[in-house]
Amino acid sequence: MNIVAALRNFSRAWRGGELGLLGFSLCLAVLIVTGIAGFSERLSGAMTQQSHHFLAADRVLKTARSIPENWLTEAQAQGLRTASVVSFRSMVAADEDMQLASVRGVSEAYPLIGELGVSDTAFGEVELVNRGPQTGEIWLDSRLMALLNLALGDEVSLGEANFRLGRALLSEPDRGGMNDMLAPRAMINIRDLAATEVVQPGSLVRYRYLFAGNTEQLNAYAAWLAPHLIEGQRWEDLRDGQPALANTLKRAEGYLLLAASLGVALAGAAIALAARRYGDRNTDNVAVMKALGAQRRQILYRYLGQLTLLCSGAIVLGGLLGFGLQEILFRSLQGLIDIEIPPPSWRPFMVGAITAVVSTSVFALPPLWRLSKVAPLRVLRRDLADNSDDLLSSGLIGLLGVGLLMWWYSKDIQLSGALLLASLSLGLLAAGLVLFLISLARRATASRSQGALRLALAAIYRRRFGNAFQVASFALALMALTTLGVLRSTLLADWQMQLSEGAPNHFLINIQPNEISPLDAFFAEHQIADAGLYPMVRGRLTHINEMLLKDIDGIDAERGNVNREINLSWARELPEDNRLEAGAWWPEVSVNGADNIAVSVEQELAEQLHLKLGSVLNFNIGGQALQAEVSSIRSLDWSSMRPNFYFMFPPGSLEKYAGSYITSFYLAEGDKPLLTALLRAFPTVTLIEIDAVIKQMNTVVAQVSAAIGLVLLLVVVCALLVSVANVQASLDSRLHENAILRTLGASRKLVASGLLLEFSAVGLLAGLLAALGSNIALYGVQRWVLDMDGVWHGEVFLVVPVLGAVTMAATGWFYCRTVLTTPPLLVLGRL
Amino acid sequence: MIRVQDLCKTVTSGAQELAILRGINLEIKAGESAAIIGVSGAGKSTLLGLLAGLDNASSGAVFLHGQNISVMTEDQRASLRAKHVGFVFQSFQLLPGLTALENVMLPLELSGRSGAAAKAKVFLDKVGLAERGHHYPRQLSGGEQQRVALARAFAVEPDILFADEPTGNLDEHTGQRIIELLFALNSESDTTLVLVTHELPLARRCERQFVMHDGVLSEEFDNDGVAKPIDSALDAL
Repeated sequence: MNIVAALRNFSRAWRGGELGLLGFSLCLAVLIVTGIAGFSERLSGAMTQQSHHFLAADRVLKTARSIPENWLTEAQAQGLRTASVVSFRSMVAADEDMQLASVRGVSEAYPLIGELGVSDTAFGEVELVNRGPQTGEIWLDSRLMALLNLALGDEVSLGEANFRLGRALLSEPDRGGMNDMLAPRAMINIRDLAATEVVQPGSLVRYRYLFAGNTEQLNAYAAWLAPHLIEGQRWEDLRDGQPALANTLKRAEGYLLLAASLGVALAGAAIALAARRYGDRNTDNVAVMKALGAQRRQILYRYLGQLTLLCSGAIVLGGLLGFGLQEILFRSLQGLIDIEIPPPSWRPFMVGAITAVVSTSVFALPPLWRLSKVAPLRVLRRDLADNSDDLLSSGLIGLLGVGLLMWWYSKDIQLSGALLLASLSLGLLAAGLVLFLISLARRATASRSQGALRLALAAIYRRRFGNAFQVASFALALMALTTLGVLRSTLLADWQMQLSEGAPNHFLINIQPNEISPLDAFFAEHQIADAGLYPMVRGRLTHINEMLLKDIDGIDAERGNVNREINLSWARELPEDNRLEAGAWWPEVSVNGADNIAVSVEQELAEQLHLKLGSVLNFNIGGQALQAEVSSIRSLDWSSMRPNFYFMFPPGSLEKYAGSYITSFYLAEGDKPLLTALLRAFPTVTLIEIDAVIKQMNTVVAQVSAAIGLVLLLVVVCALLVSVANVQASLDSRLHENAILRTLGASRKLVASGLLLEFSAVGLLAGLLAALGSNIALYGVQRWVLDMDGVWHGEVFLVVPVLGAVTMAATGWFYCRTVLTTPPLLVLGRL
Repeated sequence: MIRVQDLCKTVTSGAQELAILRGINLEIKAGESAAIIGVSGAGKSTLLGLLAGLDNASSGAVFLHGQNISVMTEDQRASLRAKHVGFVFQSFQLLPGLTALENVMLPLELSGRSGAAAKAKVFLDKVGLAERGHHYPRQLSGGEQQRVALARAFAVEPDILFADEPTGNLDEHTGQRIIELLFALNSESDTTLVLVTHELPLARRCERQFVMHDGVLSEEFDNDGVAKPIDSALDAL
């Protein structure tokens, strides 16, 4: 068939209305997939980009010594931008006053990504700038300015050099690590560093080299760098630098990916239903054409041509609309997110196009193949079977196709495999259950029930295979929706719990035992609620089971959390947000070694160090040795912003080592000047401010929440599409049946209540199955995809069946009202 | 033009074999018109389906235009129909998505003939529906739909026209008009006509009448003007 003939055929079929629903489903599928995929991709790109603000770069090389000059020239030669940061602690002096400051010397290019917040007065209005101090200039933290009674232009000395106070420094993009915040910040230009003479051989100095560029450049440089790196030098990305934030972003990306994959699956289900109807509607047409002399090949070409053109049209139109949808979504996020969105790429369009092609192939080709086999005798005998009995095999082909699509899209075989398996089980369960229930209900009510109920049951029974397919597909749609809906609430609740209003945003460490009661009095006087005092001893882990840490194979002793002094603590009760994963909490513990002290270890560290219950650990605490034995393993949430400890001991075990206390508390932004009073009263106590980090986290969470809300909305549209396709699939036979019933004298009321009951029953059943399926899916997704705890959600058993029944009844009513208003004769004449 | 030898059709219903046609023999010459008459369930439509190659016989042979269609594949039979056969159905069987004109063009396009639109217009004009060419079947009355179906059947200038109860879905008056049109077009094109009906007056318009009874076909007489034997034959049914 030539292209002109194909176009002519297509235009006829289109005008005749046969292609409408399938075309609409295809177009919507492309629209939604392109929309979701594009939105997710661009948002995720934007968020990753923004998250790099928190590193002030794309990658960071951390080292205790300065690196050879050629490492930086090599990076620049490879197209990367670089900046250098040197950090150390030193005293800052003004007049007679001195304060310990955490000093940073930064190069001209710092920060590579993000901005510095500065002001002309302490705690003043923020102004964003994208470079650090000029030479001869020093920028000080507001608190330091307050402590030293300084104003802009005053002279400040650091080591042997004098500086002019240039700005109050309110925020840095990469102010994150605890060590960074042990003392208030002072920032100078790196070129002034030598003049201070503070940094001498042997000084405790940390170097951060910042790199920015595209992923390929970064990877190429990382590969070049890797063989040069020596012990104590670490190449980090966001995951290492900001684990809490990276975790939030990872979950959000996981969610968006899951949502888009389910969007693909739902669009596929809608196409499947529409393609079935397309096949059914054309069965008689094919019989006529065959009677008029059409050969099978001609039929195949004819319909293949129609599908190809339909699919191409849907791809173009749906793709364009999908880009429009992305813009609408981003516009609706305006005000909520303040990030630069990367331009659209071709990938989401390709995803949409391939979804359409694969869906058409797996869902529309089997009905088309069946069409080509329709017997011409059907023109004389309408009752002839139309070969539509292979629902199971075409369902399996479809599921397989959708599974492959999801795999291709998510590049995650676990995720797509789990979703496919869940869909398959749910589909089979739904179909089996529906067939069983229908025959049961029919037998039970055959003689007794009357009126609408019997009518509904009779209609359900007649279309039992179609109904089984419908319940299965609608249950899948509801399951997807429920899973995503519940997951969204869970994620939001989880994030908000970490960042709830009033969550601690300041830490105090180095509190001496004799300072505890004056500090309590200070907190009481200023009505500050603290999170309780935790004792803390600094110690270093040296041996595991009598072996030196660095001699143990398979342990990365250079990881930041191992090869340094870490905080050890003791407590009578298990901290509120910690959970025992193995072993027991004291006093019910027993240790093998008579002199060993029990210790509880954080789970991730235990895995990293291959620690088991009974492992013997040696610590060096200020030159004294301590031997302990692992008695329990705890999991905890590092993003909780509470004092968390890798190692916890029973009360009484660490008292002999000189220790101090730690606490955390919440301080509103307006009360910040109170910190000056606090530090004046307790000069040896160290204050750590994490309010800036929490604020950054809050911003990210707000963006992510809004984004996943919108994506969920799109999935709702997909689910509605499935229910519409579902109702439409049976519209013709419904019209016909009800026309007959009304001709036979059934009242409109009876027909109407019969219809409503049938749709409600289908929706209710689908809802029940979806509630079960989504609980299983949620457990799996939370546990294995999003790295959260699996929780059983009982409430969905109430909500989802009702939602299903109402949605189905409403959609059914909307589309079938013509059944009631069309004169029966007209319907019978038409069919 | 049409020759049938010992044609049988049996279907199995459960364990039971049911003979629908039992050894039909029949010969219809080119240009003849023949009616197959009988009550519902007598096997008329089954015979028509076999004659037109829409179905396979259990045994026996059907020769159409000199070719044994019983040994042909479905596609070969379709190709033969495209060249030589026209159809008129009881339920019109117009494609609902196509306009009247496109419905008439359909068989012309399927058989790859050129000038389909022009030819279709000529035949729509012949059935008096030149002005309704762009209307869809749902916008046409039953009689108009059957006239479109007639135009479609004759547009391919078939050697043989099969008509299955062409007035079965129409009121008497409309049915009468359709029959007039059918016979007018038939005589104009000198087509061999095989008409299945249960209406006696309609059967009488054909040159030959065959009665189908319980799967057996009998030709009661050559139509030489005397109508009585077929009446008596029908009375006996």
